[in-house]
Amino acid sequence: MSRHRTSHALAILGPELHNKLPETKVLLVGAGGIGCELLKNIVLTGFGHITLLDLDTIDLSNLNRQFLFRKKDVKQSKAMIAAQTAAGFNPNVHIHPIHANIKEPQFDVRWFQGFDIVLNALDNLDARRHVNRMCMAAGVPLVESGTAGYLGQVQPLLKNRTECFDCLPKPTPKTFPVCTIRSTPSQAIHCIVWSKSYLLSQLFGEDEDSSGELDDAEKQGENAQEIATLRKEAQAFKAVRSALRSPQSSTSNGGDAARMAFRKVFNADIRNLLSMSDMWRSRAPPTPLDFDAIMDGTFSHKKTPANGVNGKEHAVNGKGNAHASGSKVAEELLHSSPNGDAPNTKGLKDQQVLSLKDNLELFTSSINRLATRLQAGEDTISFDKDDDDTLDFVTAASNLRSVAYGIEEKTRWEVKEMAGNIIPAIATTNAIVLGLIVLQALHFLRKSYKRLKNVHIQLKPSVPLSSISLSPPNSLCGICRDTYTILACDPERTTLGEVVSGILGGVERDVSIYEDKRVLSDPDWDDNNERTLASLNVTKGKFLTIVDEDGELGTIAVALCELPPNHPIDSLPCILPSPLPSPPRIVKPPPPAPPTPPRQTLKRRVPHDDDDEITEIEPNAKRVKISNGNTKIRPAETPLSSPSKRRKLEEDGLVLMESATDKPDDGVIEID
Amino acid sequence: MKESQDIETATTALSPTNATGPPDNKTRRYDRQLRLWAASGQNALESSRVLVINGTATSTSTLKNLVLPGIGHFTILDPSKVTPADAGNNFFLNGPNSIGKSRAEEEVRLLLELNDGVEGMADTRSLDEVLDTDPEWIAGFTVVIAHNLDSKLLDRLATFLWSDDSHPCLFVIRSSGFLAEFYIQYHEHAIIESHSETAPSLRIDKAFPGLLEYAKSLDFKSMDPTEHSHIPYVVILVKALEDWKAGHGGLPPQTYPEKQEFKKSIVSMKIKPDEENFDEAESQAYKCWTSTTVPSEVAELFQDTRLTEITPKTPHFFVLLAALKEFTQQEPYTLPLSSTLPDMKSNTENYVHLQKLYKTRAEEEKGVIKKLVVEPVDDDLVDSFVKNAHGLKLLKGKPWGTLNGDKEALANSAGALPKQVSAHLALSALATFHSDYPRATPTVDALTTEATKILPERPEGWDDAVGEVVRAPFADLPNTAAFLGGLIAQEVIKMITKQYVPINGYCVADLVDSWTGVI
Repeated sequence: MSRHRTSHALAILGPELHNKLPETKVLLVGAGGIGCELLKNIVLTGFGHITLLDLDTIDLSNLNRQFLFRKKDVKQSKAMIAAQTAAGFNPNVHIHPIHANIKEPQFDVRWFQGFDIVLNALDNLDARRHVNRMCMAAGVPLVESGTAGYLGQVQPLLKNRTECFDCLPKPTPKTFPVCTIRSTPSQAIHCIVWSKSYLLSQLFGEDEDSSGELDDAEKQGENAQEIATLRKEAQAFKAVRSALRSPQSSTSNGGDAARMAFRKVFNADIRNLLSMSDMWRSRAPPTPLDFDAIMDGTFSHKKTPANGVNGKEHAVNGKGNAHASGSKVAEELLHSSPNGDAPNTKGLKDQQVLSLKDNLELFTSSINRLATRLQAGEDTISFDKDDDDTLDFVTAASNLRSVAYGIEEKTRWEVKEMAGNIIPAIATTNAIVLGLIVLQALHFLRKSYKRLKNVHIQLKPSVPLSSISLSPPNSLCGICRDTYTILACDPERTTLGEVVSGILGGVERDVSIYEDKRVLSDPDWDDNNERTLASLNVTKGKFLTIVDEDGELGTIAVALCELPPNHPIDSLPCILPSPLPSPPRIVKPPPPAPPTPPRQTLKRRVPHDDDDEITEIEPNAKRVKISNGNTKIRPAETPLSSPSKRRKLEEDGLVLMESATDKPDDGVIEID
Repeated sequence: MKESQDIETATTALSPTNATGPPDNKTRRYDRQLRLWAASGQNALESSRVLVINGTATSTSTLKNLVLPGIGHFTILDPSKVTPADAGNNFFLNGPNSIGKSRAEEEVRLLLELNDGVEGMADTRSLDEVLDTDPEWIAGFTVVIAHNLDSKLLDRLATFLWSDDSHPCLFVIRSSGFLAEFYIQYHEHAIIESHSETAPSLRIDKAFPGLLEYAKSLDFKSMDPTEHSHIPYVVILVKALEDWKAGHGGLPPQTYPEKQEFKKSIVSMKIKPDEENFDEAESQAYKCWTSTTVPSEVAELFQDTRLTEITPKTPHFFVLLAALKEFTQQEPYTLPLSSTLPDMKSNTENYVHLQKLYKTRAEEEKGVIKKLVVEPVDDDLVDSFVKNAHGLKLLKGKPWGTLNGDKEALANSAGALPKQVSAHLALSALATFHSDYPRATPTVDALTTEATKILPERPEGWDDAVGEVVRAPFADLPNTAAFLGGLIAQEVIKMITKQYVPINGYCVADLVDSWTGVI
C-alpha cells in the first residue's frame, strides 16, 4: 500500500479524474445536515476550490447530525464554521464561505457559470427551484438531494440531457381558505396557522396593511359580511401594536398590553363574529374567553354538543383538578396522536398538555418577552421554530383559540412540529445521501452520463436503495425548455424596448414580455417599451421572458447581469449576447391527429437492462399524480410554471385556495 | 425523566415553571431524531455499548453516526499506528499530525468532540490477544462492528459471539473501492415497534357493542345536510352493514353482485352528489366483507414452543405473546382493537366522539390482555406491545459464513441475483486470499481460483466485480466509507432500539452504479 495520503483515491478514481479534482470549482449550497457531510467528503475526495453558501446560523438542534459544529458554535454562521472546521483537514483546499441567501441578486447566472458543478444541500422547495433555474440558465450540472427521516433522494440534473427539477411539478403545501383560518377554524392546525402567520405578524410584524389578502378573498367570492368584519378587526390591532411598543404599558404591571391583546382577539373579536348569526347556523359557535375568570379559576364554557353526543358542561380552571372529570376525554385524545406510529410522547417536558390557565400565563409571559425585544430595538419579530419566545407565543395563542372553538389543544412539542414544518432528520440518512451525491458528481466530471442515476433511499429491508435511469427533459417544462441567454446591461439606462428588439435581432414577431409572473408588454400593449428596466424593477439576477405569441418558437429567457467593470461609460449601456439566441421551432401536432412525439417524459422509462433485479420502479405519490396527465406543466399563456404570489404566500404557510369552495382535507400541512 | 407517569399526573402535577419553561438542552439537541424513535428508542441508544474493531475510515464514519445521536459508550479496538494513507482518507484523524500515533487513541479523541454525552475508549490490544486471554470482555458490549477483518480472525470472533445467544450481535463489513457488503449475525431479534406501514383493522365487520349502538342510534334521514355530510365513513359502513345483514340472514355481502349492490346502497344514501364521506364509505366498503382475523405473520409467532410454558425467565416478548395468543382465542378472534383512527371526512365533534369510542374499547381490551399476562411486565411495555400488536416481528438469524458453506443456496442466489453474488464472491475471495497470502498482490486469476472454491461456476458480472476488487484491494474511499457509515449506523440503531425492521441477509452495494441488493 502506498504511503501517500491520497493513495486510495488515486487508485480508484484513476489519474485523469484525480488530477482534475484540485482544479475543479464546486458550489455547495447549504451547510446543514447534508451540507456538512458533503463538505467533509468533497474535501477528502480532493476537490480543490469549494464555495460554500448558507444563510443560517447554528442551532442546538442541529448538533445531532451537523457534525462540523460544536456547542460553542451555536448562533454562529453555518458557512463560516463549517469552512473553518473542514479546511484544517486538507491544506491544499480553498474553501470560500459565504453567509448569504442564494437568491440574492449578486449570485447571477454569470456567477453560476464560474463553477464546474453545483451541489444542492437545501431544505426548502423555493431555493431548490431557484438554483435549478440558475443552473439550467448557466448550463452547469447540478446534483439535487433531500432527506426526511429514514428516506432520502439524490437526483443529477443537466440542461438538455436530463429532466430538470421542475420538469415534474412538485406537490404544493396544503393550504387553507382565509376564512377558515380567520373566523371558522375546525382543526388545531387552523389555530396554529392563525397564531403563527396572522396574529404574530399583526402584533410583532411589519406595520403593513393586510387588506390585500382580504380584497383577494372577497374577489374569490368569500362571504362579504365576514370580510367586512375581518377588516374592522384589523383596524383595532393598531392600538395593541402601539401598547406593545410603549415601555410603560407592557411589562411593568402584569402585562397590560398582553391583557389588551387577549381581550381583543379572544373576547371582542369572537363576540363580533358571534353577532353574525348566519355563520353559526350549521356550525358550533365559539366561546369568548374571559381573562380574569381564567386566572381566578372561575371560567367555564360549554362544550359544543356534537351530533348524537350530549354536550358536557365542565369547568376548566387553573389548578387542573377539574380536568380529571370533565375534560378527561379531551385529555385522552390529546395523548393519542392521530398518527398511530407517532412517537410515544410520554415523559418529555414540552410534550405535556398545558391547562387553560397555564396557556394564558404562557401567552402573557411570551408577549412580554417579545415586547421587551421590540423595545430593545428589534424592528419586527417573525416566527422561528427555534426561537423559544415565538414558539411559546404560538403554542399559547393557538391553544387559547382552540379552547374558544372547542378544538383539541396541542402540546408545545406538537405545535413546534406543525408550525415549524419540522422534518425528522438523522445523521445516518444524510451520510448515505452524501455518498451518492459525490458519486453522481464524479460521474458528471468524468462525463460518464450513462452512469448517472436517480436514487431513492427507502425503508424496505430488502431493497434499501432504488436507482432509476434518468429521464430526458419534459418537452413541456417551463424552466429547462427555455432558450437561455445572458444580457449584460445597466438597468438604469436600458429600456425594455431596446432589450427586446436587440435580443430578437430586428426580426419582427409578436411577443409578450414577462418578468416572473408580471406581464411587461404584449403585442397590443407596449406602454412600457420606452421605460428603463430599473423603473420596471427588472434588475440584475432577474430574468426577462420573451414568449412567442403564435406559439411557433420556443421561449427565450434573458438573464440580466452586470456590465463588466471596464465597460466604457460612453458606449451603449448593454452588451447583446453573441450569437443571439435562436429558440427552436415548436412542432405543434395537429389537434385531431394522434400525438407524434411520444410523451415518454411523463412516464418513467423501463429501467436499464442490467439493473433488472434491483431496480424498483415505484413511483411515489407525486409521480402518480403526474402520470394522470392532467397537470398542465405550462399553460401556453403563462410563461412560468408557478405564480409568484402563490409562492410568496406559501412561505407564510397561509395560502388562498384557488376557489373558495375547495375544502382542505383533514390533517396537517404537507411538507416539501 | 419519569417515564411512567399517567396522564393526570402529567397534566396536573406540574409547577408552572416546569410546564411553561423551555425544554432541556438534551431534548433540543435530539429533537429531530426523537420524532423518529421517541424517548424509548433514545433510552435504548443511551444505554448501549458499541465495540468497533479496526479503526478504518469506514469504522469512524459509522461511529460518527452513532456518537451524534448519542449512544452510551464506544470502544475502538486497534493496535495499529496512523499511516499517511489513513491521514488522507479518515476525517477523524488530525491530518499529518496524527501520523505515527495510535490510530484508536487519535480517533476516539476526535470522535468524542462530537457529543459530550458519549463515553469513548481506545484499546490498543489486538483482537487475537483479546480472544486468547479475555473473550468475555467482548460479551460486555451490545453490538460489535468489524470492518475488513482478517478472514480467519473474523471466523474466530464470529464463532465466539455465536456460541451464546446472550452475546452481542456482530456487524461484518467488507469493502474494497466502490464495492462493499455487510452482514448482521444474531440469533433472534424481536421487534415490538416495527413502525409497520399497514394500518390496524378498524373492525368494521366485527363492530364492538359501543360502536354498533352509536351507529344504530343515528337517524341519517332526519339530519340536516351539513350534519349528513360529516358522518364519518366508519359509522356509515357499520350502519349499512347492519341493515344489510338484517335482510340477508345475518351475513355480509358475499358474491360479486351482492358486493356491488351493497356499494350502490351506500351511494344511494347520499342526499347531495358531493358528499365525500359517502364516497369514502363506498371506497372502503370492502372492509365490510373482509373478515378481520389475526394477521398470518402474527399467527405464525403463536407457534413458538416457548409459549407453552411461561416461567419467570421467559423473555417479556414471549410472556406478552402468550397473553396475546390467549386473547385471540376468544371472541371476536382478533388482535386487540387499536385506539388510533385514521383521518377521515368528518367534523371535529363526530371525529372526537368516534375516537372516544375506539379509545374506550381499546382500553377495555387492553385490560383483558393485562389479566392474561402471567409474569410481571412493565405497564409501558404492555401498552406498547398491544398498540403495535399488528406489526410484531421475530427475526431469526444465521451464523456468519452459512451462505458460503451452502453451495446449493449460493448457486440458487447466483441464478436470481448474479451481480450481487458476484460482488459478494469477489469480496469473499479477496478476504480469504489475503488471509492466506498477506504479502501477495491479488490478481484476477488468483481471486478467480479462490472464488471457485466457494462456488464452482462464476455468475454473470464476475469480471466487473473482480476487476473492481483487484484495482485497489481493500481501498477505503472516503466516499464509500461515508455511504457505508450511514447505511450501517442506520442498521445498528435499528438493532439497538429494536424499532424498525433491519436488513436481513448480505447487503451488497456497488457504488459505481449506485445500487444495493440483499442476498
